[in-house]
Amino acid sequence: MACQDEVSSTYTYRAMVPVYLAMSDVRARQIVIEPGQDLENPGKIYIYGDYLLINEPQEGIHILDNTNPAAPVNLNFIPIQGNVDLAVNSNMLYADNFVDLLVFDISNIRSIKQVERVKDVFNHMYSNSDTGIILTFKDSVITSEADRGFKRGNVFFTNSSLGFASNFSGVAQSYGQGGSMARFTLMSGHMYAVDDRSLRVFDVKDPARPKHLQNIDLGWGIETIFPFKNNLFIGSTTGMHIYDASKPSNPTKMSVFEHLRACDPVVVNEDYAFVTLRSGNNCWDAINELQVVDIENLRAPKLVKAYPMLNPHGLALTGDHLYIAEGRHGLKSFNVADVTGIDKNQLEFLQSMKSVDIIPGPKSLIVIGPDGVCQFDYSTPYKLKPLSCIDVKNPIVV
Amino acid sequence: MKLKFLILSILVLLITKSYSQEKVYYNQTEFGILFGNSVETWNGERDKRRDFSMVTFHGVKISRHHVVGMSTGFDQYEDLSVIPIAIGWRGFLGRESKPQLIGGFDFGGGSALFEKKEVTEWYESWYKGGVMISPSIGVKLPAKKGKTSLTMSIAYKRQELGFFMGYFDQGNNSQPLIRSRLLPGYSSMTETSYLFHSLVARMGFSF
Repeated sequence: MACQDEVSSTYTYRAMVPVYLAMSDVRARQIVIEPGQDLENPGKIYIYGDYLLINEPQEGIHILDNTNPAAPVNLNFIPIQGNVDLAVNSNMLYADNFVDLLVFDISNIRSIKQVERVKDVFNHMYSNSDTGIILTFKDSVITSEADRGFKRGNVFFTNSSLGFASNFSGVAQSYGQGGSMARFTLMSGHMYAVDDRSLRVFDVKDPARPKHLQNIDLGWGIETIFPFKNNLFIGSTTGMHIYDASKPSNPTKMSVFEHLRACDPVVVNEDYAFVTLRSGNNCWDAINELQVVDIENLRAPKLVKAYPMLNPHGLALTGDHLYIAEGRHGLKSFNVADVTGIDKNQLEFLQSMKSVDIIPGPKSLIVIGPDGVCQFDYSTPYKLKPLSCIDVKNPIVV
Repeated sequence: MKLKFLILSILVLLITKSYSQEKVYYNQTEFGILFGNSVETWNGERDKRRDFSMVTFHGVKISRHHVVGMSTGFDQYEDLSVIPIAIGWRGFLGRESKPQLIGGFDFGGGSALFEKKEVTEWYESWYKGGVMISPSIGVKLPAKKGKTSLTMSIAYKRQELGFFMGYFDQGNNSQPLIRSRLLPGYSSMTETSYLFHSLVARMGFSF
């Protein structure tokens, strides 16, 4: 019989696709403020007065009027290619645009103007700095079809899909969590930006004219930066670095508190640092716990106590109250006045409130999770009261 | 699909009932072999398929020479087992007490319900049923005594099947990509569709 069986396969997979851009093209594009847009995949959230500035990774910044936290209003959107972080200093908004730092005057939120471009400060993103070409990765879904059949096609595709999967996780690590993202923080007239391995110091005493001073090498796996009383607490995948920034233009290393390789956001008060360690693909073989570190002597931090947690992500500290985002397990709050008995002083465990990060704002506690960007009234710390949730098109999965 | 079959079977039962005054029930059950050419292998070779097939047709006479009803059975395609379920027609040429020519047509679906869904830590996979069409031609040789006849038929059978395999997202991508063809929860998916063309030679009995 001439008739032959037919097999066709479509193979759909996720991949980071390299995108090469000429910085000269990026710079040539005029940034035009757009009307408010739906949040798709919110990144860093910055509270500035009555406004929320929410980064859309690689896309730009949403500006929301949060005068009434129970009903935030989406105002406008600043499209900035390659943007991952922001900070505001006296009405001047700093935002990264691939290798450049942009400054916008936001004193009139309805008439935002770009006032400065500081070139080539995040130059680790250049794939070729002579030609001004940058390399970024775009998260994509690719479908390929094979209609020339393979007998029991799955055997062939099984292998290739594993190949792609491992490639992808390799790329994801250099891009996402510990990747090329800059993280900004402001302290004593200076802005500090950390990427995966260095600390960049900017003088911003003239808010409209940031000056890039220096890069300090930090090792690798840098994730978060937390300023407190002239000190910088920098969380990495291997430990917490403490820098003395009493001379703001030239921070100096005081100590490193080492721990297992883990994802580890840090918050700090007068005497203690609270560090969460969590397991997860990008965070190696870690444990899930909250560590309390005595930092009275910044040159010799020491572990006070570790408390087991479920899967702690971000955390927030206000006075004696500590809030921990437990990923898909929910949101926990503790009274931490007695650091040796935190487990006995759990205030609330909202299991339905899946969360990855928490920001304690002056008006509300902002919680980021799969339901979007939610705000709570936390004037009564042991009883959070939901105010609103901003819908997100592409919410995080925990 | 299931609902359609349910409605059809009720319909058939109703027809059976309305004709129950006369001898209207017709059964034709046959066993045989499916022949086919499987897909080219990596080195360009083609394997012959030769597998077991059986079909049992249950119908009601709607006129002297026509029967409509349902058929089910079992078809093996190499390592895949398929249960076909179809509505069908049989037409007869010739006098009833003499050898007759039988024409047949079955249209329905094949279900891969014997193929277990596989779920591991890394992936899951399963087979999906698909459309089945089978025209046939045969002969009916009545026994000297009784109502039973010997039947032999040759059929063409076109069977579609699907295979899905999805690798779970191992936590590398916390954000699903919206408006993409990748289903949430998977980092990759393979969707394969099979189309089997077979020649079937069968032998059995009818009454």
